[in-house]
Amino acid sequence: MKKQKRPVGKTIMILALIFFYLPIIFMIVFSFNESRSLTNFTGFSLRWYEKMWNDSEMMESLYTTVIVAVLATVISTIVGTISAIGLSKSRKIVQDVILQINDFPIMNPEIVTAIGLMLFFITLGIERGFMTMLLAHIAFCIPYVILSVMPKIRSLDPNLADAAMDLGATPWQALIKVIVPQIKVGIFSGALIAFTMSFDDFIISYFVTGRGVKNLSIMVYTMSKRVNPSINAISTLVVLFITIVLIAVNVIPIIRAKKLGIRPGDIKGDKTPRI
Amino acid sequence: MEDKALIQFRGLVMEFDGQMVLKNVDLDIHENEFVTLLGPSGCGKTTLLRILGGFLKPIEGKVLFDGKDINDVPPHKRELNTVFQKYALFPHMNVYENIAFGLKIKKMSRDVIEQKVMKMLKLIGLEGFEKKNVTLLSGGQQQRVAIARALVNEPKVLLLDEPLGALDLKLRKEMQYELKRIQQEVGITFIYVTHDQEEALTMSDKIVVMKDGEIQQIGTPQDIYNEPVNRYVADFVGESNIISGHMLRDRLVQFDDTEFECVDSGFAPNEPVDVVLRPEDIDIVSPSEGLLTGEVESVLFKGMHYEVVVETVPGTSVTVDMRVIKNNEVTSGDGREKISANDFFVDIEDVEKLDDKEIIARADAQAWLPETDEFISINKIEYDLRAEEGQYPVTFFTAGGTMIQKTIFVVNQPFVRNVRANEAVSAFNFFKTVDEITESQTLDTDLKTWANAQGWKLSDEDQSVDISVDYDFDPEKIREGVYKVTFSTTGREFKIRTTDFVEEETEVGLCFNPEDIHVMKKMEA
Amino acid sequence: MKRFSQLAVPYIVWTVIMLLLPMLLIVLYAFTDTGNEIMTFRFTLANFAKFFTDPDFLLVLWRSIKIALKTTVICVLIGYPIAYFIAFSSDKVRDMLILAITLPTWINMLVRTYAWIGLLSDGGIFQSLLGIFGLGDTELLYTEGAVLIGMVYNFIPFMILQINTSLSKMDRSLTDASHDLGADGIQTFLRVTLPLSLPGVVSGISLVFLPAVSSFSIPKLLGGGQFFLIGNVIENQFITVGEWNFGSSISLIMALIMMGTMYLIRRLDAYSSGRGKERELT
Repeated sequence: MKKQKRPVGKTIMILALIFFYLPIIFMIVFSFNESRSLTNFTGFSLRWYEKMWNDSEMMESLYTTVIVAVLATVISTIVGTISAIGLSKSRKIVQDVILQINDFPIMNPEIVTAIGLMLFFITLGIERGFMTMLLAHIAFCIPYVILSVMPKIRSLDPNLADAAMDLGATPWQALIKVIVPQIKVGIFSGALIAFTMSFDDFIISYFVTGRGVKNLSIMVYTMSKRVNPSINAISTLVVLFITIVLIAVNVIPIIRAKKLGIRPGDIKGDKTPRI
Repeated sequence: MEDKALIQFRGLVMEFDGQMVLKNVDLDIHENEFVTLLGPSGCGKTTLLRILGGFLKPIEGKVLFDGKDINDVPPHKRELNTVFQKYALFPHMNVYENIAFGLKIKKMSRDVIEQKVMKMLKLIGLEGFEKKNVTLLSGGQQQRVAIARALVNEPKVLLLDEPLGALDLKLRKEMQYELKRIQQEVGITFIYVTHDQEEALTMSDKIVVMKDGEIQQIGTPQDIYNEPVNRYVADFVGESNIISGHMLRDRLVQFDDTEFECVDSGFAPNEPVDVVLRPEDIDIVSPSEGLLTGEVESVLFKGMHYEVVVETVPGTSVTVDMRVIKNNEVTSGDGREKISANDFFVDIEDVEKLDDKEIIARADAQAWLPETDEFISINKIEYDLRAEEGQYPVTFFTAGGTMIQKTIFVVNQPFVRNVRANEAVSAFNFFKTVDEITESQTLDTDLKTWANAQGWKLSDEDQSVDISVDYDFDPEKIREGVYKVTFSTTGREFKIRTTDFVEEETEVGLCFNPEDIHVMKKMEA
Repeated sequence: MKRFSQLAVPYIVWTVIMLLLPMLLIVLYAFTDTGNEIMTFRFTLANFAKFFTDPDFLLVLWRSIKIALKTTVICVLIGYPIAYFIAFSSDKVRDMLILAITLPTWINMLVRTYAWIGLLSDGGIFQSLLGIFGLGDTELLYTEGAVLIGMVYNFIPFMILQINTSLSKMDRSLTDASHDLGADGIQTFLRVTLPLSLPGVVSGISLVFLPAVSSFSIPKLLGGGQFFLIGNVIENQFITVGEWNFGSSISLIMALIMMGTMYLIRRLDAYSSGRGKERELT
């Protein structure tokens, strides 16, 4: 029945893929353009990379983005995991209420979360800058970690920790040696989501920052009025970086599986697509 | 039954990923028949159904419907409807909308649709359910809706793909009668796929038994049950005692060394055959009246009847001596190494096959450091063996020079044959220490290994026969000495279904009539 | 076991301070007029009155809703066939295509939007393409069309993934059953496949409509100064004007509109897909 070649579907699919990748390819190509033009490719050069390298504002924004993303990921992964374990053992009502509030940053439009946090910092008289940005990132990253760890904890045998302690483990050992290894897939995907959410974030960072502290998104936003091919260069670096991370994330489990003699399909659940 | 076949499968071949799932299937199905395709999963029965439904295209062969080739007719233009395995009810429609689906597609008028749907609801006994959400119905109710949804289109043939598989036992029985009733009421052909032989026997006019993509037998339930064509069909349909035998001549068959009159004919003289005796056809009588005699092995109460197992040919057994000896380790001069080994028996015929490794294993030779309990290897053994009965010394050495000397007894061990049961067993005397016996976690298995106990079919030496172990010592409290260990097989057992209670371990006779014996051709391997 | 529940205590405190309190602050600011002085606030509805009496603000709000609706409709119309193609491909192809759709979403949204500036600017690829049809002078960048393209580009993957999930989950025997009961390909799609994939369409709509209505970076980058949306108004109130009370009230209005829209969409879905769905929602 379904053996037809589906020519219409294929055409739509190919057009869709062109639509998705055209801007990215365009950006990469023009980052090597000799002239300032965004429309005519006049020749190959690395001058925009050089300019980017020497532009202290750009390099600083890159640095801020990476540092905030790494710190926010590490902190929110640890705190989120521990909190999720704690919540799973809390009373039902506490659990429900906290998880409901936890959903705020995920369900609300980002601009609302951003304004809320901005008002929060202003009201408490905290001067906005790097620290507020980091705090805000941790605040919206933890819910994603909890969201991806929680189902794994719920699917655990509830007697697992008790069994470990029955066999002589301290509660801490039970946590680290028994529970955490069982939910590490969830922790890992939570960390990955946290990292990309933080790395990508614009709206929340934009509202809670100050004193000229900018991440990559804010930098692109504020610079976009002038034609600046250095943005293409730095964007190309970001694309390269994300592609490497993604390939690593998708390929490493396959390689590991091959070593263990499992088909990659068996660990499909380990993949961590966004959304 | 009419002569004209409604559906004709001709030379159907189907393949998935290089796996043949249908091998040249020919089958005729007539009007108003309740036909069951019966077989285990993977036998091709569902594939056959899906080809008929139009969801699969055979790679060879054709399907004729009313004499017309329908290979290229898409499913929605075929005059048949299907009840799917898990019903496939549309979850976004209520009961009424589900049943009306096919009629709406045909653009029938509203009142005709309503009339027909109501009639169907009555037929399946779900009047008043029309507005119900199908996902909230019980399995049995969903089942009925699925049947109604198919039948309302007035197909010439209804295909049912394991429709009762998802129901519990009691509901399944109810639905069997229900389905048969519906089929008789609407009077169309039902093609029913199942792996449940009881379902097939209860409902069908005709059963098609399939195996590995091939039809084994086509016949009425009575035919299939009473006259199975081969061991496979007999085993799959109903319970049976299946025995290998020979057809001496027409109406005379021999099995278990006894000749029996039967009603079968048409075999070559002395042709090897399989014989079926259904458990309910055998009567338990006094030993003097029986055609076969045996001992009652077990009696299980099954509610309506007892299931009795009678052993007519006793198992073959062999008894050997287990010599339990002192712990036999030797300690090296400096006390740093220990070595141990046992004497053992070996058959003349097996002397050839002995090598260093085998001797170490049979003697259970081990060396270790007593301080750390760490095993060390035995790196040299010395022996002089000939394939003649006698006693031969063997010495095991460690690298450190610690040694132990033991004896290999070469014997001509006769094995015990049992021609009636077509089997033989053999086992050897053996030596073991007290510790080895008390420390054994799985003594029965270890005893078989130590005695090298084996059972096999006389007709085919490579076919092994399970053996069991019997002894009357207490392994926990064993001391040095000689003990008897018996290895035996089960022999020939008959399963009998009877309403009369018999005592276990009594001698009984088994009686059956010539027409209860059913002789079948041997299956090709 | 109870001991482990104590692990959640710090986070409970954190949640209240960092997630709950900021939301309450928005409400507080929206209904007060004393700016930064939290301790001396006065209750007022003036902020709301200001918004609803100024036709300019209402126009911007209307424009935001319109463009979000357009984006959503385009995403459904384009996204559905793509999701359908993916869902009915072999497992291997499906996994690959899903990866191909997800991959760009991992790249910074601002970066991806910025790339469109070059593509749409005067003399760029798209204008040259239009030139073939004699429409070479058409302005592309800094128009509503550019904003629309940017939004569709950013949000359509969510639509595709949602629809694909609901189509892939669908029991294949349902389409077989439909064919079996006499429905051809189109009838099967309209009566079985489409209704059963509606929940995916609905969650796709919410994932597209909500960010589209509140977006302010896409209109800024691709709409230039000309194309002002409600998100830009909020941005201005907070970043440049410093009218936090007014800004908060606009945000609140926007949030309420979004919630109302979502509620409507879900009701619609429950209605169209029968009683079963309604039960699921409650």
